[in-house]
Amino acid sequence: MRLLVLNHIQNAYDSLRSTRMRTNLTMLGVTIGVASITLILSLSGGATKVITDQVDELGGNIAVVRPGDVPQTTRLDNIASPMNHSYATSSLTERDMKAIRLVPGVEAVAPVMLVGGNVAAGNNSSSNTPIVATTPDLISISNLTVKDGQFIDSVTNRDTAVIGAQLSVDLFGTDQSIGQNFKIRGQDFTVIGVLKRANKPINYNNIDFDHAAIVSLESGKSFNQGVAQIQQIDIKATDQNSLPSVVEGTKKALGAAHKNEHDFSVLSGDDLSRPTSQLFFAVAAAMTAVAAISLIVGGIGIMNIMLVTVAERTREIGIRKALGASNGHITAQFLIESLAIGIGGGLFGYIAGYLLAFIVSRSVLTFDPLFSWQIAGLAIGTSVVVGILFGLYPAIRASRKDPIEALRQYH
Amino acid sequence: MKTNPDAPVIALRGLKKRYGIGDAEHTVLDGVDLVIEKGEFIAIMGPSGCGKTTLLNILGLLDRADDGDYFLADRSVESLSARRHANIRSEQIGFVFQNFNLVPRLNVIENVALPLTYKGIRKTKRLQLASKMLQTFHLSEREYYMPWQLSGGQTQRVAIARALVNSPSIVLADEPTGNLDSKASHVIMEELSDIHKRGNTIIMVTHNPSLTTYASRVITMLDGKIDSDTKTLQPTVKVDTTKKRLDTHAAEAPKEKTLRSRRPAKRKTIKKGASK
Ligand SMILES: Nc1ncnc2c1ncn2[C@@H]1O[C@H](COP(=O)(O)OP(=O)(O)OP(=O)(O)O)[C@@H](O)[C@H]1O
Ligand SMILES: [Mg+2]
Repeated sequence: MRLLVLNHIQNAYDSLRSTRMRTNLTMLGVTIGVASITLILSLSGGATKVITDQVDELGGNIAVVRPGDVPQTTRLDNIASPMNHSYATSSLTERDMKAIRLVPGVEAVAPVMLVGGNVAAGNNSSSNTPIVATTPDLISISNLTVKDGQFIDSVTNRDTAVIGAQLSVDLFGTDQSIGQNFKIRGQDFTVIGVLKRANKPINYNNIDFDHAAIVSLESGKSFNQGVAQIQQIDIKATDQNSLPSVVEGTKKALGAAHKNEHDFSVLSGDDLSRPTSQLFFAVAAAMTAVAAISLIVGGIGIMNIMLVTVAERTREIGIRKALGASNGHITAQFLIESLAIGIGGGLFGYIAGYLLAFIVSRSVLTFDPLFSWQIAGLAIGTSVVVGILFGLYPAIRASRKDPIEALRQYH
Repeated sequence: MKTNPDAPVIALRGLKKRYGIGDAEHTVLDGVDLVIEKGEFIAIMGPSGCGKTTLLNILGLLDRADDGDYFLADRSVESLSARRHANIRSEQIGFVFQNFNLVPRLNVIENVALPLTYKGIRKTKRLQLASKMLQTFHLSEREYYMPWQLSGGQTQRVAIARALVNSPSIVLADEPTGNLDSKASHVIMEELSDIHKRGNTIIMVTHNPSLTTYASRVITMLDGKIDSDTKTLQPTVKVDTTKKRLDTHAAEAPKEKTLRSRRPAKRKTIKKGASK
């Protein structure tokens, strides 16, 4: 049987080569489908790896509390909404922070409160600057580095701020902006520190600190009628080994504080690393749809072209049967041919997907796409499944042909 | 197939084949009874359209009869699975088609090697055997030609080479010399004789009476029936003529072959109709 498989492969190669244009066009559907899959997976994998590396760099001892029950990443129905609504009415409070601080093994806790509004200095203003209200612990938890000046601490004034290097350039035209004044929602703030450029727009805080303005939690509350609207609480455990118990302890503490209502989630490890950007999910969903549709269309294309091939070669089927081919031989012959189209399409798609991923990541993103054997396996697996699934019917049809009827066919 | 070594290779009883339905229906085989023993060399003759090809197709398990029984080595072919049919075609039967039926996509040597593929023979070995077979038919320089690059006679020789390459025990040849001059015809017939001498069964359709000398038994068909049969009416003839032919064949010069080959026409092929 093995020998015959080799023979069928040779046969499929010859036959596909003799109709090269047709074969290539048929492959296109699978190519587009597999390219989409590869693109999504390599980019999301790359983004995940960025965060994983960051967390690992910090010692792998970071956990994060976010409002809402299910981790946002798996909620596909959230993709349609432009902003995560659960963030707008956060269930996390300052009291939760205090409760977490009491959990054994917790070294530091920092809230992230995002304040909406404009940042302006003179004639320069920016409306999409992330304004982060937090506590001094954030610097150690998120591994921020202050280039000039100092970070906010317990004794700094309420109207002082630390700004990202890029924001400094945007507002003042220089990254030497200590002592300069700017306005957040019309309120005056003085720059007491400028962060070192990190170039990490993707991180588990979902904040590009290069563009951010950081103020104290007290200032943040003053923008929100004195109430802390905490979008995320970052927790640092004393070391990696105590992280699981910290996560458990946090869950218990918050459960008690929230009267066992599960309106929060504690994330660590892979859950934390998965990309959370809504835009990313929108793009990924669109690409998934493209992948699914083109795989189905590609599969139907394969089926169509295989039916044509079988019809064209009816006489050949008759001859082969007359010379001793069994139904199984004929099925295998045509199945391998459709499989070859599928795998060919998959291979091209895999390569095209990575080319696209590199173009995208080099032009608009800050990280490289991820290479992994899982992605390669999935790409090839998908194309194999498409090739077999849609080639099966034509192949069986070919094998069922009556030898004498097939031999009578003239072209 | 090893059920009964003495059983006839092929036994047909009341075999019928009809084409068309209703008013258009016509019977192409109208009750064929025929017993073929192992090692016979049968020539089937008869006017065009009398059903020779149809009969051969049924014998080669390519077609099915509408009525009657076909026993192959004592087993009814009706009872065998499609898979078994394929296996028999692969292992035991070599079929030369009237219209050659080479695969147009494949070159000459690939065409000849094709039956070996389904016996599971390795590629290099396949090509070796095919090449050897082609050599027998003086086609060595044409191995890598495509079928459409061959003359009619060359095509026919390739078709015969393909039928014989897997050393079948039953050769079904539908006018294997239809496109060949008498010299080339005799080359083919010598080859078939050789195979016959090795104990295999050969059933050949021919329109050329001179070629029936090679046969051990001549059957004439008319309108879907067996019209005359050298064996059933003169059971001893078969043995005698075979022996005679084989004996004389070796000694005789080619020139005399033509003379000798006319002889079967005069032979006592007593027609069924004549006895009425
Ligand atoms: N598929 C078919 N449908 C209808 N009639 C058919 C079919 N195949 C063969 N026939 C008819 O059956 C009859 C016998 O055909 P067959 O091919 O067996 O003749 P033959 O004896 O081989 O003739 P020749 O010597 O010309 O090859 C012919 O009248 C033919 O028209
Ligand atoms: Mg015929």
